[in-house]
Amino acid sequence: MDDLQELLEDFLIEAFEMIDEMDQDLVELENNPDDLELLNKIFRVAHTIKGSGSFLNFDKLTHLTHHMEAVLDKARKGELKITPEIMDVILESVDAMKAILEYIRDNGDDSSPDVEIDSIVKKLDAIVSGNATSTSEEKEEIKKEESKTVGGINLEDINPDNLDELDLSSLSPEELDQVLDKLVDDMNTSPEEEEFEEIVEESAQEHSQEKEESSKKETPEEVKKEENVPAKKETSTQITKENQKKELQKKMVTTKEQTIRVDVKRLDQLMNLIGELVLAKNRLIKIYNDVEERYEGEKFLEELNQVVSSISIVTTDLQIAVMKTRMLPIGKVFNKFPRLVRDLARELGKKVKLIIEGEDTELDKSIIEEIGDPLVHMIRNAIDHGIEPPEERKKVGKSEEGTIWLRAYNEGNMIVIEIKDDGKGMDPDVLKRKAIEKGIITPQEAENMSDKEAFMLIFKPGFSTAAKITNVSGRGVGMDVVKTNIEKLNGIIEVDSIPGKGSTFKLKIPLTLAIIQALLVASQEDLFAIPLSNVIETVRIVEEDIYTIEGRSVLKLRDAVLPLVNMADIFDIEKILLPEKYLYVVILGLGATKVGLIVDRFIGQEEIVIKSLGEFLKGLPGIAGATIRGDGRVTLIVDVASLMKLAKETHNKKLVTDSINEVKKKKEKPSDYTVMIVDDSAMDRKIMRQALEELGVNILEAKDGMEALNMLKQNDIDAMLIDIEMPRMDGYTLAQEIRKYNKYRKLPLIAVTSRATKADRVRGVEVGMNEYITKPYTKEYLQNVIRRNLKL
Amino acid sequence: MGGLNDIIKKQQEALKKPEEEKIEEEEQLVGFIVGEEEFAVPILSIQEIIKPIEWTRVPFVPDYVLGVFNLRGNVLPLIDLRKKFGAPSADMDENTRFIVMKIKGEDVAFVIDRLTSAIRIPKKNILPPPETYSNDDDIIEGVGRLNDGRIITILKVDNLIRREEIVPDKD
Repeated sequence: MDDLQELLEDFLIEAFEMIDEMDQDLVELENNPDDLELLNKIFRVAHTIKGSGSFLNFDKLTHLTHHMEAVLDKARKGELKITPEIMDVILESVDAMKAILEYIRDNGDDSSPDVEIDSIVKKLDAIVSGNATSTSEEKEEIKKEESKTVGGINLEDINPDNLDELDLSSLSPEELDQVLDKLVDDMNTSPEEEEFEEIVEESAQEHSQEKEESSKKETPEEVKKEENVPAKKETSTQITKENQKKELQKKMVTTKEQTIRVDVKRLDQLMNLIGELVLAKNRLIKIYNDVEERYEGEKFLEELNQVVSSISIVTTDLQIAVMKTRMLPIGKVFNKFPRLVRDLARELGKKVKLIIEGEDTELDKSIIEEIGDPLVHMIRNAIDHGIEPPEERKKVGKSEEGTIWLRAYNEGNMIVIEIKDDGKGMDPDVLKRKAIEKGIITPQEAENMSDKEAFMLIFKPGFSTAAKITNVSGRGVGMDVVKTNIEKLNGIIEVDSIPGKGSTFKLKIPLTLAIIQALLVASQEDLFAIPLSNVIETVRIVEEDIYTIEGRSVLKLRDAVLPLVNMADIFDIEKILLPEKYLYVVILGLGATKVGLIVDRFIGQEEIVIKSLGEFLKGLPGIAGATIRGDGRVTLIVDVASLMKLAKETHNKKLVTDSINEVKKKKEKPSDYTVMIVDDSAMDRKIMRQALEELGVNILEAKDGMEALNMLKQNDIDAMLIDIEMPRMDGYTLAQEIRKYNKYRKLPLIAVTSRATKADRVRGVEVGMNEYITKPYTKEYLQNVIRRNLKL
Repeated sequence: MGGLNDIIKKQQEALKKPEEEKIEEEEQLVGFIVGEEEFAVPILSIQEIIKPIEWTRVPFVPDYVLGVFNLRGNVLPLIDLRKKFGAPSADMDENTRFIVMKIKGEDVAFVIDRLTSAIRIPKKNILPPPETYSNDDDIIEGVGRLNDGRIITILKVDNLIRREEIVPDKD
């Protein structure tokens, strides 16, 4: 039972692959109806499916395939010319085959009540009988029947799996030859069956003697066998078969194709593990950097460095290797388009040529699966809206046949899929007008829109330029779904168009989904990871660079004007950092839309592993997921598409200039300020307190570093006076700890100590002290230092 | 020979008895304090109990969702039960724990003030929540009376958090 199940699964995988290939070949055949080799290939595929189908008792499938094969056979013998009409019927039967196979896949039998084959069979029969004399057909049938049995086993049923059931040594040379022919056919259609090659190899060794004999005799016998075939073609088939057989023999002796089918789940699991490894590697690097600082110059560091770098190289290589195993050529998706283009063009009465380039470009399997539907939509759109009807093309001096280019190529870490047509292109003004009519944009918005932004209007929900609705496109769904799907893959769409000349759509998609490059930024105390693919640039500006136009903040960057939003406003993050002289801006790009996002700090670029936030938190606005950083903390990953939407809302509500000054609390009088004194000596604290009381500021006192740290977290402190030598936690350590918090990065820390050597001072600077006062000091000096630091 | 049979019979009865006694069903719970009250959850719903670790805030969620944290490579949501139950908030201290529980197949951590004890309680001692309890969101399974007189509120783990309360609907 299990064996049968396995056989069935193999059959289905093989059959689906073959049919996809056949689809493509058929469309190609339509363009080159005289390509005999192609025709033979198609015939063989149909034949193989029929053979395996009958072996598995799929009568309906066999019945249909048999009739289709008859048509192909006639064409192959030159008795029938493939016209587009005949091709329609053949393609229809291929579709029916597909439907039946899908039914088999889901239900295990081929009853497939929804698939009606009788009418197709009738049409196929009509093609066969309409062009051929009945006698030759009968004769052929008889010939076929004759040649079918070999050594008591039906020739059709011989396949690599049951070859050992066949007693090869008992066969006559002629029969053996037929078996080999059959196997050559099989191999042409299923090249990856290495198992099969093994078996043939065995038998080849056993019977090499006989084979030599048989190949000598081959020619006369072959002629006999195919005597009703016109002489010219016979030789050409003869030669190709001869060649193939030689190739097969050569292959038997030399290499076998080394492939193995692996369950996708296993690869996913492997990818997850690699993700963990990348995280651990990041963490290791971080720890190394900490250790390096602390034990500078020590010998073991060198060794540690070597280990860390070799682990990080191996991890990166491993990641690439595993990523590669998940890669599939994009041809897998592209292959179905020749058929799509052909069908659509016929349906719409247009002439369209499809040129595919770069089908070998590889992409992650999960992306391949997602990319198909968006591409179908875009190609449909290109044919329906882009390419003009032949008469119209003629009128404007273009060739009647329109061309669509489908290209894939790598660009850095991204893959670019380009869909280009030489149709009528898009007029930005027309698009704007349409969008205003439909209430998608306001006239003012239209005025400020660049051409590229206008092209992006076609991706808005509810936008459709087709004057009349066809069943192909123009129902207002589609392009917006395309955009959402591409954005789900962290991809971006670019559109360019010249009216009258055609349009170009570029989809840029990351090579893999699980691990991405990200820019890490801090908004106030919170870190966020922004996918690098959406970061156009980062700039540092001053408040004066911000303009307010119509109540909204914008940034003038070179010759562009960008909306400007504070990230803290989008995510409603409490503002605790005092504004600084410079503002840091990330320019985000999604399609033609650009937004400037104010952050408080750039942390850097990092490779991050995307993790889900789980069932309860996923789908939060603006958040795509989370990643675990080198220090073990979780950092949220921004969902750029959703963030842009939020940014737009925030942009309309809040001025950046207001937002950045929100935190400037009204501290005017000295009593608005609090200074903390940290010293273990009560007398020293008293001296400092007296000096500060005269200033009129509030005072807090701590006896050691630990106490100070806790008090700092619970109070709003404006400056700290820190003794160096203290129990529990000394002043250096305290300063170091304080500087770990983004919030306290600018907090004035003033060392007050009797340690006066240069080394002490240097150490003080290293740990982040702002000033260094040596005891003894005058009251006035201390007061001046405090005044300066509080800007009193 | 009759004597031997008797002995065997007695032995078998002796073996049966404790099982019969056990049939009086018991719940095994873990008790903990949140605010002023003692709560309990079935021991089997608990994945692990850990000391507080650092978490990351998440935007646009109700205040009782503190954020997410990293538990051995997995990102888990962290729920503050004090806030969830409307108790006054308090700082975490050395008794504070995160209880990780499986809810609808997902691990979720809850902040509690301190653990009390593992509890075995006969099912018959668990009563449905009294009318006076506010139980609008159906998070109380029942109220248990312990031998020492303590009253504990047993929680319905599956209802402790709901996605629709956390993530706002699109638009």
